[in-house]
Amino acid sequence: MSGSGIIEYAVLIPLMPILAFPVILFLGKMFNGTPSWVKNVKEGGLIALTVMGAVLILSILLIKENLHHGSADHIFNWLTSSWWDSDTGAIQKKVFGVGIYIDHLTVMLLFVASFLCFLINVFSIGYMNTDPINDNRNHRFYAEFVLFCSGMLGMVLADSFLWLFIFWEIMGLCSYLLIGFYYERPSAAYAAKKAFLTTRVGDVFLVIGLVMLWNLFDGHLDYSYVFNPENIQAVDQGALQIALGMMFVGAVGKSAQFPLHVWLPDAMEGPTPVSALIHAATMVNAGLYLVARMFPFFAEAELGALSDVAIIIAIIGGITAVMAALIAFVQMDLKKVLAYSTMSQLAYIFTGLGSALWLANNGYDDLAKFAMGASLFHLFNHAMAKGMLFMASGSVIHEMHHAHHEVAHHDDHDDDHFDAQSMENMGGLASRMPITATAMLVGSMSIIGIPFIGGFWSKEGIISSAWQVALKEPIFIFPALLILIGAGMTGFYMSRMWFMTFAGKPKTEVAEHVHEQTPWIPIPLVTLTFMTLFAIVLAFMHSGHWLGDFDNGHYTSDLVHGAADEMHHVFANDDPFLLLLTYVAIGLSLVLGPSLAMALYGGRLDEGQKAKPWIQWAINLSSKVRRSSHFDNSAWAESSFAKSLHKRLHFDDWYDAAMMKIVVGFANLSALFDSKIIDGAIKGIESSSQGASRKIRLLTTGSARDYIMMAALGTLAIFLMLWGVA
Amino acid sequence: MSSNSVIDLKGKEFLLIGGLTVSVALLAAFFPDLGSNGEGAVDWISIPLVGFPIITAGIMLAFASQENRSRRKMLSSPVRLATFVFSLIPLAISTALFFDWLIAVNWDLSYNEYALESQYAWIDSIGVSWHVGMDGLSFPMVWLTTFLVPVTILTTWDEKDGATYHPLLLMMGGALIGVFVSLDLFLFYVFWELTLIPMFFLILKWGGKDRRYASQKFFIYTFCASVIMLLGLITLYFMIPEGSGEGYGTITGRTFDMKAILSYAAAENLGDGVFLGMGMQQVLFWMLMLGFLVKLPAVPFHTWLPDAHVQAPTGGSMLLAGVMLKMGAYGMLRLPVALFPDALIEFQDWVMIIGLVSLVWGSVVCLGQTNLKRMVAYSSVSHMGVILLGIASMQPLGYDAALFMMFAHGIISPMLFAVCGSFKHHYHSMEIGSMRGMAKFSPYLAVYMMFGWMASLGLPLLAGFVAELMIMIAYWPVYGWWILLPGFVLAVTAAYYLWSMQRTIFEGGDEGQPPESMLGETPPDISLHENIGMFILAVFTVIFGIFPFIALGMMGDWSTAFFEGVFKLGGI
Amino acid sequence: MIDPSWVSGLAAILFTLGLWGAFHRKNAIVVLMCIELMLNAVNLQFVAAATHWGDVTGWVYAIFAVAIAASEVAIGLAIFLSIYGQQETISLDEVNLLKH
Repeated sequence: MSGSGIIEYAVLIPLMPILAFPVILFLGKMFNGTPSWVKNVKEGGLIALTVMGAVLILSILLIKENLHHGSADHIFNWLTSSWWDSDTGAIQKKVFGVGIYIDHLTVMLLFVASFLCFLINVFSIGYMNTDPINDNRNHRFYAEFVLFCSGMLGMVLADSFLWLFIFWEIMGLCSYLLIGFYYERPSAAYAAKKAFLTTRVGDVFLVIGLVMLWNLFDGHLDYSYVFNPENIQAVDQGALQIALGMMFVGAVGKSAQFPLHVWLPDAMEGPTPVSALIHAATMVNAGLYLVARMFPFFAEAELGALSDVAIIIAIIGGITAVMAALIAFVQMDLKKVLAYSTMSQLAYIFTGLGSALWLANNGYDDLAKFAMGASLFHLFNHAMAKGMLFMASGSVIHEMHHAHHEVAHHDDHDDDHFDAQSMENMGGLASRMPITATAMLVGSMSIIGIPFIGGFWSKEGIISSAWQVALKEPIFIFPALLILIGAGMTGFYMSRMWFMTFAGKPKTEVAEHVHEQTPWIPIPLVTLTFMTLFAIVLAFMHSGHWLGDFDNGHYTSDLVHGAADEMHHVFANDDPFLLLLTYVAIGLSLVLGPSLAMALYGGRLDEGQKAKPWIQWAINLSSKVRRSSHFDNSAWAESSFAKSLHKRLHFDDWYDAAMMKIVVGFANLSALFDSKIIDGAIKGIESSSQGASRKIRLLTTGSARDYIMMAALGTLAIFLMLWGVA
Repeated sequence: MSSNSVIDLKGKEFLLIGGLTVSVALLAAFFPDLGSNGEGAVDWISIPLVGFPIITAGIMLAFASQENRSRRKMLSSPVRLATFVFSLIPLAISTALFFDWLIAVNWDLSYNEYALESQYAWIDSIGVSWHVGMDGLSFPMVWLTTFLVPVTILTTWDEKDGATYHPLLLMMGGALIGVFVSLDLFLFYVFWELTLIPMFFLILKWGGKDRRYASQKFFIYTFCASVIMLLGLITLYFMIPEGSGEGYGTITGRTFDMKAILSYAAAENLGDGVFLGMGMQQVLFWMLMLGFLVKLPAVPFHTWLPDAHVQAPTGGSMLLAGVMLKMGAYGMLRLPVALFPDALIEFQDWVMIIGLVSLVWGSVVCLGQTNLKRMVAYSSVSHMGVILLGIASMQPLGYDAALFMMFAHGIISPMLFAVCGSFKHHYHSMEIGSMRGMAKFSPYLAVYMMFGWMASLGLPLLAGFVAELMIMIAYWPVYGWWILLPGFVLAVTAAYYLWSMQRTIFEGGDEGQPPESMLGETPPDISLHENIGMFILAVFTVIFGIFPFIALGMMGDWSTAFFEGVFKLGGI
Repeated sequence: MIDPSWVSGLAAILFTLGLWGAFHRKNAIVVLMCIELMLNAVNLQFVAAATHWGDVTGWVYAIFAVAIAASEVAIGLAIFLSIYGQQETISLDEVNLLKH
C-alpha cells in the first residue's frame, strides 16, 4: 500500500472540522445575536455545512480512488520514546506515528459518517435554528457538532489503534458536551455525565487492552505492523485473546451493549440532531468499527485460539438484542423507542461480527467473509435507516412543539407539562406529515427487515451466519436463538411506534394541529428514504461479499447476476436448514410482530384525512387487523415484568445505587479517614510536641539564681565529660 | 491625596524601581566577571534566570514594605506592571535558549553532562561552589517556571496589596529556577529552602481564614522533611572520599559538587559495584527520598498540601501546584535514583506501592470532597503518584512519562487553581453543591473549568493524556494486572471531575442558583486578566497535547542517556 | 616559694564560696559581688599558673578578666538600678522578668 494521490489530502477530512471548531466558537462569541449571523450564517450552521460538504466531497473522492485497493500514508511521528529490553540490555526507540490507513472498512464507515454528518447538518439548520430555546447558543451546537464529526472521521481514518483511541475519546467528550447541551436542565446534566462515565469505564479497558497489545507487538499499535500475519502468529495467542477481550469491553461501552448500555436512552436529553448523530453516524458505530477492525487478528491467529472472544462478543450481542427489544416494548417516548431499537440493532451487528470472527478464527474463510459483509452491510443499513428515523422523529417532535405553541396560544392556557415526545400525545399524523410518515415507514421497514428493503438482506445474512456457527459450535445456539427471537420483537416494537404515531385518531388536540412546515428538514428525509431503498441495489451488487472480502472480493457490477445469486442465497438456499431459518425469520419479523402491533395500536385516520397512497395501505391493513382480532393486553401490561421493563429492568437503579452508595460512600469514608487519621497523626505529633515544650518550659522559673545554678551544673557536666574523654 | 501626587508617585517611584532593577540586570548580564563563566561564554543562567528575578523582586519588596498602607496601595499598580515586565525577561531567555536564538545549545547530552554550565568559587573551604547548568531533566522545568510566573501574575492581577504580592511571586520563580539549575548540593539546598520563604508569606498574608495554621504547617512539615534530606546530603558529603572532588574548587578535597558526586557514584556503581555498599545505599536512598516524597507529596505525607492550597491565594496555589511539587520529583530523579540505582531496584516495589497508593487514595478522597479547591489539591496528589509509578517502572518510557507528567501537570494544574480562585474571587464560595447553573452567569469561567477538568482527567490531544498513556504502557510489562488500579483511577478521576461540574456550573434551571454567599447579587463573569491568563494556559495545554514531541524530544534524550549512564552501565 | 597546689586550693575555695553566694543570697548586689569573687578566684589561678610556667599568657588573661569584670559590674549595677527604679526591689526572689 502506498501513499499517493488523493490520500495525501485525506488528513484534511478530520482536520477541517477540527479547525472549524474554534472558528465557529469564536465567530459565534463575537457576532452572537447580530442579524447577519442569525440569518445569513444560520448561527454558524452554514460554516459547519460548508465544512461538512467539503468533507463529503473529499471523502467520496477518496472512496472512489480506494474502492478496489487500500492505501496508507504515514504523516509524522507523534511520540518517540525508548524501551529498555532487560533480556538483551538494548535500548530501542519506540515510535507512535500519525497516519492514514484505508481499506474496505474505512471506506464503508467513511461514507456512512461523512454522508450522514452532512445530512444531519442540513437537518440541524432546520431543527435547531427555528427553536427559540436555542437562540444565541447555536454556535455552540455547531462547533461541538463539527468536533464530533471530526472525531468519527479521524477514528475511521487513523492508521493505528492509538489514534483510533484518541479520536474515540474526542467523540466521548463531544457526546458529553452535546448531550448536556441544555446544561441548565438537571436531567441533561445528569445524562451527559452518565454517558461520559459509562463509556469511560469501557475506555479504561480499551486502554488496558491497547497497552497489552503494545506489549505483545513489540511496541507497535499501527495496523500495518499488527495486522501482519507473521507478527500475529508470533505472539502469545492466549495473551492476545485477553487483550482483544479487554478492547471489546471498550466497544461495549461505546456501542451501548449490555451491561454498559444504560447511557444510551438517557442520551436522548440532547437535541434530536445529536441523537441522530450519536445513533446513526458516529458514536455507536465506533464500537462496531473497533470490533470489525480486529478481524485480521482472528483470520491470522492460530485456529481456534481466539474463539472465546468471538463467542463472548456474540453472546453479549444476543443478550442485548433481546433485552433492548423487550424494554422498547413499553416505551412511550418516541425517541426512547428508537434508542432501544438502536441498542438492539447494534447487538445484531455484534452477533454478526462475533460469528464472522469465530468463523475466521476457525478456518471457514468464505463464510467468515460473508458474515463480515453482512454485519457491515447491516451497519450501513442501520445507520441510514436510523439516521432517517431520528430525523423524522425530530421532525415530528419539532412540529408537535410548534402545534403545541399554536394551541396553547389559541386557548390561552399554557401547559408546561406537555410532552411533545410522548407517543401518547400523537396519533393520526400520517396525513398531516406525509414526508415524515413515509420516511418513518421506510426506515422502520428497513429495521424490521421487510423483504427486499435494505435491512432485510443484511439481517438475513447475520442470522444465517450466526446459525452457521451454531451448527459447528453448540454454545452459539444461544445468541443465534436470541437474535432470531429478536427479529420478531423488532417487528413488534417498530410497528408499534409507527402505528401509535401515525395511524389511528389523534390522541390530543395538539396532534390535530400538526403540519409539516419547517424548511431544511425534508431534504435529508427524502435523501435517506431513497438511500434506504437504494440499498437493494447494493445488495444485488453482492455487497454481502465485497464488504467482507476486500482484497479479492466478488464485487460485481453485473446486477442481474448478482441479484440472482443473492436471491438464490436467501430464498432458495441449498442448505435446507438455513432455508427453513430464513422463512422462520421472515415469518417472525414480517407477520407475527407487525400484526400484533397492528392488533393493539392500528386504526383508521380521522374522517376526511387521507394519507399518501403508499402509506394508506398500511393504515388500512392495521385497522382491519385490529377490528378482526380484539386483542387485549391489559393483563400483560399490568404484570410485574412489564413494570420492571418500564424501570428498564432496574439496571439504572442498580448502577446508581452502586455509584452513590458504595463508591461515594467509600469516598466519603476515605475523606474522613484522610482528615482524621492521616492528618490526625500529623496533628498528634504537632500537639504532643507542643505539650512537651510546655513541660520543658517549666524549667524557666525566671529567677536569676536558678539560671546560675544551671550554668554551673552545665559547666560541671562538661568538665566531667572532658575528664572522661581524657 | 490629590491627583497630582498620584502622578508624581507613579512617575518618580516607577522610575526608581525600574531604573534600579534594569541597571542591576544590565550590570549583571554584561559585566564580564559577573556574567561569564570564565571561559568567555556568557552565563545565561546565574544572573538572567536566577539572580535577576530574586534581586529585582527583593529590591521592590524592600522598597514597598517600607511604605504605609495607602502608599503601598498606590504603588501596587506600577509595581505589578514592573514585576510582569521583569518576569517576561526570564521567559524570553529560556524560550530563546530552547530555540537556539541566543546561542546554539546542544541538548543531546550524555549522562551527567550539562548545557550552559557555569561555575564560580564560593566557599572553597568546604568545597562549595556556585555551579549551575541545565539538562533535559531541568530545562523543561525551568521553562515551565519562567512561563508560569508571568501567567500567574497576569491571572491574579487584581490581588490586593500588589506592591508586595507580585514581587513575591517573582522571587518565588527565581528561587524555583535556582533549585532546578543548581549543580551543587549546598546551592541546591539553599534554593530548596529559599522557595519556602516567599510561599510562606504568600499564604500567611494573602491566605484564607486559617492562613496562619496552614502557612506554619506547610513550612514546618516540608522543612522537617528537608532537614532529613539535608542530613542525608551531609552524610553523602562525608561518604565521598577526600580528593574525589578535585577540579571542583575545593581545598579539603571533599566537595558538595553534584556533578562530581554523580560521576563518582556512577564510576563506583559500574558493573557489579555498589556505591557506598548496599546498606548505606538503602539508608541514604530513603533519607533523600523522604524529603522528596513529602514535597511531591506522596500519601501518607500529603496532608499539608490540601491545607496549604485551600488557604493559599490563587497565585500561590498556581505556583505551588505548578512547579513547587515538581521539585520533589526533580530531586528524586536527580539524586536518589541517579546515585543509588541498586537501592532503587531493591525497593522498586515499594516505590511502586507508594505511587499506587497516592494515585488511588488521592483520587478516591477527591470524590469525597465538598470544597472545590480541596478536591483539586487531592487530584494533584493523585497525579503526582503517576511520577512514582514512572520511576518504579525502570523503563526510559516510564521516565519520559514521569517527566512529561511533571510538565503537563505544571501547565494544567495552575489552570485548575485559577478556576478555583475565580470561584473564590467572584462567588466567595468554593463549596461544591452550594451553587447550580453558574455557566449561565459566567460562561467563560464555565468553559475554562470544563477545559481544565477535561485536561486533568486525561482527555486525548490535551497535555495530560500523553503522560497517562505512557505510564500505562510502561506499567503493564512490569507489574501486570495491577494495571487495573490505575485504570480504576482513570474512571474515578472522570467521576469526581464530572460530578463536581454537574453540581456547580450545570443544572439550576432557567434561572440558575447562585451561591448564598452572593447575597442575592448576580454573579459576575471572570475579569479580563483571568480570562487572558487562563486562555494562555489552555492554548499551551492544547499545543503540548497535540505536539508533545516539542518537549518530549529533549526528555527522551535525557532519559535514554540516564539509562545508559545509571542503569545499563550499572550492570542491572 | 609557695606550692602551686596551695594557690589552686585557695582559688577553688574562693570559687566555691562565690558560687554558693551566687546561689543563696537574695540581694542582687551581693550576688554580683559573689560573681566577682569567682572571677577573682579564676584570676588568682591564672596568675599562679603564669608564674609557675613562666608564661605571660596567664597574666594577659587575668588582666583581660579584670577588664571584663569591671565592665560587667558597670552594666550589672546599671541594670539593678533600673530594676530598682521600676520594681522598687532588687531581691532576686521577687524579680522574675526572664520567665516572660
